[in-house]
Amino acid sequence: MNRRQILTGGASAAVLAAALGAGARRAEAANEVVIGAIYPLSGASADVGLQARHASETAIEIINNSYAFDLLCARAAGLPKLGGAKVRVVFADHQGDPEKGRSEAERLITSEKVTALIGCYYSNVSAPVSYVAERYGVPFLCADSSSPALSRHGLKYFFRPAPNDEMFTAAMFDFFDAERAKGKKIETLGLFHEDTIFGTDSAAVQNSLAKARGYKVVVDVKYQANSPSLTSEVQKLKTANPDVLMPSSYTSDAILLVKTMAQLGYAPKNIVAQAAGFASQALYDAVGNLLGGVISRASFSLDLEKKRPFIATVNDLFKKQSQRDLDDNSSRQLMGLLVLADAINRAGSKEGAKIRDALAATNVPASETIMPWKKLVFGPDGQNPDASPVLLQYEGGKFVTIFPDNVAVTQAQWPMHA
Amino acid sequence: MPHGEAATAESFRSARVRRFLVAALVFAALALSPLAIRSVYLQNVLVLTLLYAAVSQSWNILGGYCGQISLGHGLYFGIGAYATSVLFVTWGILPWGGMIVGGVLAVAVALLIGYPCFRLQGHYFAIATLVIAQSGLVLMQNWDFVGAARGIQWPFGPDSWWTLQFARAKTPYIEVSLALLVASWLATVLIGESRWGYWWRAVKDDALAAESLGVEVFRSKMAAAGVSAFFTAVGGGVYAAFLAYIDPDAVMSFRFSLLFALPAVLGGIGTPWGPLVGAAVLVPLGEFSRSYLGGSGSGLDLVIYGALVMAVALARPQGLLSLVPRRRAAP
Amino acid sequence: MTATALLQVFASGLMTGLIYGLVASGLSLIFGLMEVVNFAHGEFLMLAMFATFGLVVFTGIDPGLLAPLVAAAMFVFGAAVYALVIRFAMRVETNRGMVQIFATFGLSILMQGAAQYLFSPDYRSIRTSWLGERTLHVGGVFLPWPLLFGGLVSIATFGGLYLVMTRTAFGKALEATREDQGAVALVGIDCNRMFALGWGLGAALVGLAGAVLAVFYYVFPGVGASFSLIAYVTVALGGFGSVFGALAAGIVVGLVEAFTAVVLPPELKSLGIYALYLVIVFLRPAGLFGKF
Repeated sequence: MNRRQILTGGASAAVLAAALGAGARRAEAANEVVIGAIYPLSGASADVGLQARHASETAIEIINNSYAFDLLCARAAGLPKLGGAKVRVVFADHQGDPEKGRSEAERLITSEKVTALIGCYYSNVSAPVSYVAERYGVPFLCADSSSPALSRHGLKYFFRPAPNDEMFTAAMFDFFDAERAKGKKIETLGLFHEDTIFGTDSAAVQNSLAKARGYKVVVDVKYQANSPSLTSEVQKLKTANPDVLMPSSYTSDAILLVKTMAQLGYAPKNIVAQAAGFASQALYDAVGNLLGGVISRASFSLDLEKKRPFIATVNDLFKKQSQRDLDDNSSRQLMGLLVLADAINRAGSKEGAKIRDALAATNVPASETIMPWKKLVFGPDGQNPDASPVLLQYEGGKFVTIFPDNVAVTQAQWPMHA
Repeated sequence: MPHGEAATAESFRSARVRRFLVAALVFAALALSPLAIRSVYLQNVLVLTLLYAAVSQSWNILGGYCGQISLGHGLYFGIGAYATSVLFVTWGILPWGGMIVGGVLAVAVALLIGYPCFRLQGHYFAIATLVIAQSGLVLMQNWDFVGAARGIQWPFGPDSWWTLQFARAKTPYIEVSLALLVASWLATVLIGESRWGYWWRAVKDDALAAESLGVEVFRSKMAAAGVSAFFTAVGGGVYAAFLAYIDPDAVMSFRFSLLFALPAVLGGIGTPWGPLVGAAVLVPLGEFSRSYLGGSGSGLDLVIYGALVMAVALARPQGLLSLVPRRRAAP
Repeated sequence: MTATALLQVFASGLMTGLIYGLVASGLSLIFGLMEVVNFAHGEFLMLAMFATFGLVVFTGIDPGLLAPLVAAAMFVFGAAVYALVIRFAMRVETNRGMVQIFATFGLSILMQGAAQYLFSPDYRSIRTSWLGERTLHVGGVFLPWPLLFGGLVSIATFGGLYLVMTRTAFGKALEATREDQGAVALVGIDCNRMFALGWGLGAALVGLAGAVLAVFYYVFPGVGASFSLIAYVTVALGGFGSVFGALAAGIVVGLVEAFTAVVLPPELKSLGIYALYLVIVFLRPAGLFGKF
């Protein structure tokens, strides 16, 4: 053997050893419930995936230890109806590719013997994963994908506790209606959305709701995600200058959009965003000074800690892991795992069908969650119809809840530069 | 070239027989492998390995034998995947028919592209194929009839060979991918032995010299492109049935175009076994490193995968296949 | 659209195009010297952007001023990549082009993984630049300083490159090496050294581009992908081997992209660039200024 052969051989041996080593530690502890979590842990959304890991680990801490507050799964250590079984999460990376998500779901079910699945952020990965779960009779808790289509395939093992894009968008238009009723001028809308499934779905709902409720979409810009330049796109927005700009962008494009708008001297009258990039800390770290008054829909608000003080404790636990506050995504990922663990506990079993029935029978008051939902129940399609979103406004370097009125802590500043 | 000498002709014939015997043994072993490999995960890796081997073999026909480096085969793969999915989901046409339609469509597109592009040399050709494939991706992403960015979800049906849908079983997909690999292998070897094969190699070695010797350079390239595109598209159809969900990024991004060339190059470009050997190393490498190291989110799996691709490329530039000792140099 | 708006699109396209030219210059130089397509070009750019970001965080100096330092660091990195990777790919007798492509493809994945490991996958932005949010306002047209700065750096760089290539012994040796490796070895030029310097210089150009981009663009491990495809098309459009062709092609690409986004729906804007490439090479099979 020459040096090159040794190099090649040694390299392959190393990978094999890594694979076998990982296989060995798979041996399941006696009293343990294993849940598979599939997130984008590399690629363009790896930052979200990493936060999902922190959120899941925080949830595990809450489930496996005993806390003196009434959040789902907090009081008891472990799952009492399974003899105090501890919950463990196995993470898998889908790299934003549906095929990899599907194959990881199958691996987690057949090799890691997971009791349930959670994930996947990307809607186009959640779709094939939900099918795998259905075929193996393993519940899939869709924590943070918001494409409305996901709950329309008639799947029995699919559950989504958080709102979908239609519910999120309806909240935005409810807010517009409310502001209009107060005599504010909101007539024209401008849509700005990226060209993958998230932006496409979001804009489709926005267009149809605008039509139904009598708003005029004066400019609808669909752009290529991760484009090196958004100058011409912003020029179109500036020319139309709508009363409200409604962006649906991931973090990367959101940063570039805000910078480009500032550079071209375009200050939108109002911005009401479909979260994603506009809910990410990275955007406010980068251009927070340009974003005073921006409104974003969200599935979570830290303001709720005034009503439910344990949210502050949960946030501290999360912050220890990630050095950040809970946000739109991490709150859903954390809560999703709690919802799942609670159902497994109520089922008192690791059997997929029993957990499914327990999930379907879920009926938890909002006060036992960290979310602004009305309550936690699942419709026959697996969607929680009472998952009400909130609108947050970025003021003085932080987000405050402005809508709906029952959770709002302050009045919206409208127009945003008032 | 062997002369008319009886002994040489005899040894040439026996070498040919041996070659097909070896092939029959390898493919038979692969066909029976699901009996030994029971893990769903490993079977899944096997499906992908065989499918990538088959598509890489198709790429090899144009890139390896004819020497026209395409960085746009993702386009043909996407055409196959989309034709199969649209025909099945919209009109209920069985995927088997869809794959053929996709294949024929891809041949038409390949010839349409080849007509102007085969006048280009080297890197200009490669970038042209890349640019055309990217244009296809952009168009699919915005074409509402095929679901645009939302993609196409295959309906949830019972297990059936007709619809090529199996809820849990992987064996059928292993056999279908293997069949495609055998077909593309046979096409490569048989055409490689024919007059076309000699033309392709002549074009690859020196197109100008070949032209002066009366080789129909342009027609050779077009033929190679057509055969290559056909099998690639059929592979796309199999992939769509296997995944039961497609969207533009998931079947025709630039990544695919690279991943189809990679096994052939690392296994042994322009050889009939190179793509299979390359895929057998690359696909499990990618899957294992992601599955067992990717969950940490640290990026280390990518470091290892990238380093190994680099190491293989540099350590065995003539391909991994060259590690296998040969009795004599290939003709 | 009004005339001012069109002028705005033109100005923006021109500035973006100059930056595209700068991004492509290193790729073009390396190709011209030794016919290697560096598939890790985007990741070189990513590394340069992270280097700029890191230096700004640690020193607090304006990224505009740090550009030479980043270029110097990238010079070392480029020469090291040559010595550790490319040198071996060059030794290959068979199938050299493909080996180079996939060796650098492996390098690109490795670099992305390493960046995620070392820097985390978070999106970063430089906020402290003096250039950051300033805009020059000329007769209704907005010229953002970061883009203007990028354009000026690009022009200056190509000017400097022209002087280096034509006026210095090093430039002449580079030119000679690319013309005929065998012959320069006879006159005592060490090809290996020239190639290492070429890779260093190519990477240093990427370093300048990275420093310019980091002023206004976000930085994360996958950022290279946004620019690498455009860089390949730009180099090919300009003509492989022609560094100044890359500048011309960059400008054309920037303008065509900007105007396509006005004429067509913006989601189709890269079609303009792709169509431009095809039309040009069908008419001129060696690009705008290709030498062969």
